[in-house]
Amino acid sequence: MRKFTVLLAALAALLLVSPAFAQLRVDVTQGTIQPLPIAIPNFNGDPAGAQIAGVVRADLERSGLFRPLDPKSFIEQIKDVNVQPNFANWRVINAQALVTGQAMLQPNGLLRVDFRLWDVAGGSQMIGTGKAATPDNWRRMAHIISDLIYERVTGEKGYFDTRIVFISETGPPLARKKRLAIMDEDGANPQFLTNGSYLVLTPRFNPTAQMIAYMSYISGKPRVYLCDIESGKQEMLGNFPNMTFSPRFSPDGNKVAMTLEAGGNSDIYVMDLRNRAVTRLTTDPSIDTSPSYSPDGAQIAFESDRGGSQQIYVMNADGSNQHRISFGGGKNGTPVWSPRGDMIAFTKQDGGRFNIGVMRPDGSGERIISNGWEDEGPTWAPNGRVLMYSRTLQGGRGSQIWSVDVTGRNERRVLSPGDASDPAWSPLRPQ
Amino acid sequence: MSPSIARARTRISLSSGAGEARSPLAWIGALALHAGIIAATLLTFSHALEITDQSPPMIPVDLVTIGVKTNIAPRSVIQPKALPAETPAPPTPTPSPTQPSAPEQKAEAAPAEVAPSAQPIKVPPKPEAKPQTQPKPDKKDFNVDNVLALINKVAPAAASAPNAKPADRNIKGVGAMNAMTADLQDALRSQIAQCWSPPVGAPRAEELIVDFDLFLNPDGSVAQPPQLLASSSTADPYTRAAAEAARRAIYECAPYKLPADRYSQWREINPFHFDPAAMMGQ
Repeated sequence: MRKFTVLLAALAALLLVSPAFAQLRVDVTQGTIQPLPIAIPNFNGDPAGAQIAGVVRADLERSGLFRPLDPKSFIEQIKDVNVQPNFANWRVINAQALVTGQAMLQPNGLLRVDFRLWDVAGGSQMIGTGKAATPDNWRRMAHIISDLIYERVTGEKGYFDTRIVFISETGPPLARKKRLAIMDEDGANPQFLTNGSYLVLTPRFNPTAQMIAYMSYISGKPRVYLCDIESGKQEMLGNFPNMTFSPRFSPDGNKVAMTLEAGGNSDIYVMDLRNRAVTRLTTDPSIDTSPSYSPDGAQIAFESDRGGSQQIYVMNADGSNQHRISFGGGKNGTPVWSPRGDMIAFTKQDGGRFNIGVMRPDGSGERIISNGWEDEGPTWAPNGRVLMYSRTLQGGRGSQIWSVDVTGRNERRVLSPGDASDPAWSPLRPQ
Repeated sequence: MSPSIARARTRISLSSGAGEARSPLAWIGALALHAGIIAATLLTFSHALEITDQSPPMIPVDLVTIGVKTNIAPRSVIQPKALPAETPAPPTPTPSPTQPSAPEQKAEAAPAEVAPSAQPIKVPPKPEAKPQTQPKPDKKDFNVDNVLALINKVAPAAASAPNAKPADRNIKGVGAMNAMTADLQDALRSQIAQCWSPPVGAPRAEELIVDFDLFLNPDGSVAQPPQLLASSSTADPYTRAAAEAARRAIYECAPYKLPADRYSQWREINPFHFDPAAMMGQ
């Protein structure tokens, strides 16, 4: 009995000494969408290091998903990219990620850039790699570094090492010159691809190569042409008796779907670039145009007024199973299938305004994501996350290129020389 | 007459053999009275049971103690976070760590064309000489101003997102444990909501749910690196990005302001469940 009492007392004492711990379940369903604060000090070494860090900061800031911190707020000066930074110095300025790097001109003439991405809170390295290229390619190296950081943090490929083909408009209103032009995704390095002696419209990128298709009036007749951007070589795509327009490459780059007009009836055809064989996909007496392939190449979205007003339809790649998907009101056209496959972007005309919208391939989940007066002609970033489009300013005060995140956030103007419209986003450039 | 009453009478009769000295009349009277009382009691009890059976089912009521913090919807006060540029620079810490004697990474020269090499750089070993003193961030200091600032910071979530919905008011279960900890859950939810920025633009972002096991110190700081629970697969890069976003939020919001006297209830958060579905379309 005495032993039992002692045992009981010991148990009671134990209970008093160690409190009972329980697990607390917490369900978090609300957050605050905000860009990631990231510190990117100028890279050490060669003076190009500071320029590269500047481009990386601008790239990430433009995405709307990062907030590069002002270098003036930095406490620690990175002296060596191979030394782990003192994370407390970066936590105190609220940096959640840190990029350190250095640039070195090597004896072989190449500029070598090493950089590391650090998780400041966790105190661990997320990326550590190096790139080398000729010094005049420092901007591309910066874009490639931006893409690596973007991909590591967001989980999806970046889009900074890409280019935009667009229609540049210059000159007085009565003698407007429309030229095909190309620039980097950030607006740098603009160049003209055509001289403006003939009209060029609707440029479209080959998703697998640096090649574009577009409609041009080179010989006075509207035809679809192909152009190799690197060599500048052009060729007419088929010698059809009537107008061809609205070209779009298949995802594998082997085919071009386009519209052929004959006797007032426009239908969608597809040409195999390997053997130039042409197949007709639609036969409806209405206007069928603006074809756009799904990323798996199995389906094509297009616009048609067969139901009385311009709406978006989807069919199999062989022309079968044509069915309407847009029922959200207004007129809907220029569908463009996302490279990710989850969305179709389009232009909605409703209430006297033109806006860019997205919907799922079955027509559900329609959302308007642009806020302009006259926005049209969307084109997707290769990662399917961002859209660019033409914006015509109210009162005919010119045209600009704008971009917006697929969520509808971060709408901003894309810098371009002069007036610009009809953008087409390239795939990531080959490295 | 029910069998139970008969048994009662038998028992009383047997026990009455002990008192021979009393008058027989008194015994008979007492017996009759006792038997009558017992019979009446049994009959009444049986009747009462029948009534109870016909009554509607009983609704149990739990007494819930209202905590200090409840599901109060965010106030619409815009309190932007302190810009780093305006943050007064704390005293510079001790000199940067000495450079380790790790061999310098020698990368191979890339080809002349634009073909950046993908050679990874070796992670240098951590410097042995750790800084002796580290500037303690201001937010670690607990004072009333910080608490007031925290309360005011509840607003930006609603202000920054035009289509933001009110805070989730669903408390799962009304059990005794939940009742005791509902205010703790609210406090943690409202604090982490300021820091958590899930990747809402990812494909099928509403499915990027992650669970953590988090241990906290009595001062509300993170006791050890949050452990991602096995239920959250990080096989694909999107889920990994979602897990890292939640982990960053856990660190950024620490130290958590929670009642110190109830540390035993919030020492371990498990699961710390991050579900972005309600944020889609914002």
